[in-house]
Order: sequence, then structure tokens, then C-alpha cells
Amino acid sequence: MSELLTETFVTALLFGSVTAGVPLLLAGIGEQISEKSGVLNIGLEGMMLVGAYTGFCAAYYFDSFWLGFLFGGLGGVSVAMLMVLFCVILGLNQIVIGIALTLGADGLTALLHHFQFSRTYPRLSAVEPLVIPVVGDIPYLGEVFFHRHPVVYLAVGLVFFLVWLFKRTYVGLNLQAAGDVPAALDVTGVSVRSTRTWAVLATGFLAGVGGAFLANIGAGIFVPHMIHGAGFIGIVLAMLARGHPTWVLYGAALFGVSLSLTTALQVAGFNIPTDVVQMLPFTMVIVMLILLGRNSYLPAALALPYIRGER
Amino acid sequence: MRQTLVAQISKMLISAALIVFGLGFSALSSAADLKAIAVLVPEQGTDYGWNQQGVDAARAVAEKYGLEFMPAEGLGYGDVRPTLRELAEEGASLMICHASGYNTAGPEIAQETGVPVAIVDTPQGLVEGLVTDYTLSGHDGAYLAGVLAAHTTRTGSVGIVVSGEPPSWNSQSAAFAMGVKAASDSTKIIYAVIGPAAYGDAAGGRRVTESVISAGADVIFGQGNGSSFGMIQAVETTKAVDGGKVWFIDVIGDKTEIDKGHLLSSVLWDMVPVYDAMVSDLMDGTFGTRGYQIGLENDSVRLLKSPHIPANIWNELMDLRDKIISGSVSVDNISDAQAVRALMTSVDINEG
Repeated sequence: MSELLTETFVTALLFGSVTAGVPLLLAGIGEQISEKSGVLNIGLEGMMLVGAYTGFCAAYYFDSFWLGFLFGGLGGVSVAMLMVLFCVILGLNQIVIGIALTLGADGLTALLHHFQFSRTYPRLSAVEPLVIPVVGDIPYLGEVFFHRHPVVYLAVGLVFFLVWLFKRTYVGLNLQAAGDVPAALDVTGVSVRSTRTWAVLATGFLAGVGGAFLANIGAGIFVPHMIHGAGFIGIVLAMLARGHPTWVLYGAALFGVSLSLTTALQVAGFNIPTDVVQMLPFTMVIVMLILLGRNSYLPAALALPYIRGER
Repeated sequence: MRQTLVAQISKMLISAALIVFGLGFSALSSAADLKAIAVLVPEQGTDYGWNQQGVDAARAVAEKYGLEFMPAEGLGYGDVRPTLRELAEEGASLMICHASGYNTAGPEIAQETGVPVAIVDTPQGLVEGLVTDYTLSGHDGAYLAGVLAAHTTRTGSVGIVVSGEPPSWNSQSAAFAMGVKAASDSTKIIYAVIGPAAYGDAAGGRRVTESVISAGADVIFGQGNGSSFGMIQAVETTKAVDGGKVWFIDVIGDKTEIDKGHLLSSVLWDMVPVYDAMVSDLMDGTFGTRGYQIGLENDSVRLLKSPHIPANIWNELMDLRDKIISGSVSVDNISDAQAVRALMTSVDINEG
């Protein structure tokens, strides 16, 4: 085992854990915004998938990772608009619509990929990182955390921005009211429908960027069904973190590190059942967040459509 | 008493004649009723791998027998019962469930509709006339790939990255490891599974492969469906620990068309003989009485010859292939995941 622990190997493992964690972080905090406003966004996986597809197309055709993220976000928004139409405006069942959107996105992106890329499977070149001076030279950790595409720094910064937004601004209060007591928000003259609409669209954008990150930086290619449950893990992180953006950050980081740990255990040649090793990320995240999140709460009106005047 | 005996013998003879006639008629009607072959695959049949080989082979066999071809692609890894019922209603005479995830649904729908199905990786699941199995393994070919990898590595380490641990992947991983050790006992083997059924997880494929490369491997034997593309991306964008190129050995399909200079070889599978035999058995009325396999002897398993393989090594591999076919070198078919994992640290060679 010790012979394996070279700087190259450890750095690659930790680098991979951050890369795996960022899409979960983006999707998780996006879901948290939506849940805060009272919309349980089960369609997160579908938003990520469409974001991965549109993001990859943009990055590939325009040769720009930035445009890839922008179009990835817009792809997620396009699915979120359907969620808004069916769940916020028409008040249909959020779980059913979310599942339908995910299945629809799965089929649509597979079909588009089939017509567009299934004979060529184009891959993107390696991303040019933004190296942060001084801290980027720290052994092991410098390359892992500070040799990254700027989107990684923005994703982490967004967590702290949301902490501030939720706690210190009227926007945060409105979101919370829309999820807890939507009628009270309505009485104050703030539109519940509008608040929830913007929240779901923001979720779509962040999930789309997360999907684009997974395709463009995580894999460097788009293949059908490639989100592979990351959207559902994002939902779990958001629900277990119960309103705390920083806990989503911890959960995503823990999940990424656990994934790398599973690889490390295998590479080191531990002869234990792979299923046991691969349960590790899921088990660790659930146990940690349940222990830490016992005193938190979910919005009272979560997953309930709001119709003015209805009790 | 004598009359009774004669009457009983007569009845038995008539019954036997009727049974023989009935069986013959049944076989004839099976052949006559064979109209269409359906194949169900989890991803699109354009993946240069498992899905494409399955779809292409089914199409070729349908054409050979003049049958309608009914592909159902991109079905994912969930419940395919509705699709199976639909295909049965549309007149499929044989439904090939080309994913281990369909092994529960396939036999159920076969019982329900009476339409024969073929499933994978379940040799114990045969039901006469209704369910057959093809547990394919290119382990003999993977053994050759292992020898090739051992001759190619500069760093003295080779990697095996798999998207799951189905029997087919396991037997090839084990055979690859045995091939490596047969050619060079000192070569280190690094084995990693991306995740539970991570067949389409391209990002996971890339992440795990990059870790395996950073642990020293400069030849990657990758088994993964969609996740293979993540492995290839890792191979193309990551330098080996010695700063040189990393090679990739693929399985099942031929990705030469999309290669950027890293594809060393592939353990190619041809499923045409398998599906051909299934249709033939269906016509003969023996469907569901045996399973099907592929092998080196009829080239349904073979090693892809890329321009990156030196001629002398290729010749050595072909000599070894002949020895495997003749039986002078035998390669164990180890399909149990736990046994494969144990093998990565202790490989026994079975020659002679």
C-alpha cells in the first residue's frame, strides 16, 4: 500500500474526488433553492442530462468551455421551464412531473446523441486550469484545489453567497416563506408563483451547469445516460442538508472523497467484495448528514402546489 | 386377456405415432412461424461495443434467414417488460435480451406470452422451448491481450478498469491477468471497478482510469460500454508516470474509426454464430436445451491487429492462439468476482 502513496497517485485521487464532487455540489445547491421555495424538483437528473448535452455541444462546436457552461445552464433552464409550467403554474404533482421530465430527457438526449455523435464520439481537449498563485504550489493540495477551471471556484463561492442570500436578504426570506407559509407570503403582496418560478429556473441553471461540468470536464465526452444518478444524489444531499448550503458542500466533498477512497482500496488490492467498497460513498454521506442534520427541517409546504385562497 | 393386451399395445403404438407426428408438426410449425427477431439493448447500437455487436449480429442473422428485424435500442437498465410485451404483440418470434439487467423480465414475459427469449449470463436459466442463455466470454482472447500488454508496458504495470463485475467481464479480467503473468511474472496488475453497474458512467470511467494510470499503469485493459469512452479520454489526456504514452486495449468492438493513436488492440466478439445457432435450434425444436458460447476456433473471439503491435509480438500471439485452440495452453474461465479479485494478487498459470 505504502509504495502506492506517491504524490502523483494521491494527487490524482484527490483531484478526481473534487471533479466528482463539483457536479453534485452544483445540483445539490440548486435543488436546495427549489426546495426552499416549496418545489421538490425530482427532475434534477433530467436537467443535468440536458445540460450535459447542450453544454457538450456548445463546448465542442464553439471550442469554448465557458460557452459550454452557459449553454449547459440554459439547457437545464429549458427543462426547468417545463417544471414551472406543470408544477408551479398548473399545480400538478411535482414527483410525477419530475420523474417524467427525467425519463423524457434521458430519451431525448440519447436520441439526439444517436443522430449527432454516435458514429464519431468526439472528445474535448483537456481543460486549461486557472492556477492560483502561491497556494497552487502547495504539495498535494495545491494541484487538487488550486489548479482548476474557474467554474470550480465559482461553485464553492456560490455556496457562501447562498448562505448570505438565505439568511440576510429579503430574497432569502421570500424563498423560505414560499416554502413554509406560502399564503403568508401572498398576503404581503409577493407572488408565490413568481418566487417559485425563479427558484426552479435557478435550479435548472445550476443543474445544467453541473451536467455540463460532468460532460466537459469530468468525462470530456457526452454519452447517453451519463449522469448516472448524480441528479438523484444531488436531491438526497439537498434534502439531508435541510436548508444549509454549506452542508451540501460537505456532503458533495465527502461523496467525492469516498469515491476516490473506493478506487484507492481497489488499486491497493484489498480483497474485499467490490459491492461493499462501493457502498462506501453512499453510506458515508447518509450517515454523516443524518447525524449532522437531525435538528434541521424541511419546508412545511414542500411538494405542495399553492393555489390562492385554498386551504 | 389376449385381446386386452393387443388393444393396449395398439393404443401405445398409436399414441407413440401421434407423439412423433405431433413433435414433427410442432417443429415444422416453429420453423414456419419464425417471422421476426427482436433484440433489446440498453444503449444505442452504435457504441462500437457490446450494444453494437449485439444489434449488428442480430440484423445479420435476420437477413440470413429472411426474417424481419426488430431492434429496440437505448432501453436503459430499468424495467423492459412493457417493451418485451410490445415486441411480442408485434410478432417477434425470438426476443434477444442483450443485457444482464433483463434476465428477470425476459423469462417472465416468455412465460406470459409464449415467445422464446434469449438472456445473458444465466446458464442455469434454460427452459426448453422458451428460454435460452448465452454467457459469452472472450477469455481466450483476453489472455492473448494480457500477453500483449506485458510485452508493451514500459513501466512494468498494467491496469484493468471495468464498469461492473458481470461474469463476462470477470472471466476476461481473470484471463487478461493470467496472460500478463504468463508473459512477465514481474509485471504488476492494477485492478479497479468503476462502480456498481457503471456501464454508462463515462466520467467515472475517466476518473478511475486516471487514478490507475497515476498508480503506474501504462497499458489499460478497459471493459465498459459507454464508460469506455471515459477510459479512452483518460488515456488520451493523461501521461504515464514515465511521461510516455498510455495504451488502451478495448473489448468486444472495434473503435479504430475513432481512435486518436492510443488503441493498441481489442478483444473482438462476433455474436453472429451465437444468434445463428439460436435460430437454427428454434427451427429444429431444440431451443432452450443448451447455452451458446464464442471462441477463438471460429474467430468469434479474436484479437484486433492494430498498426501499433510489432510484427514479432503479433506472430507470437498467433502461435499462442493456435496453442490455445489445440489445447496445449488452457485458460481457465473464472467468472466469480471474488475469485477474480483474489487472482489480481496471486496468479497461477495453467500451461501444458
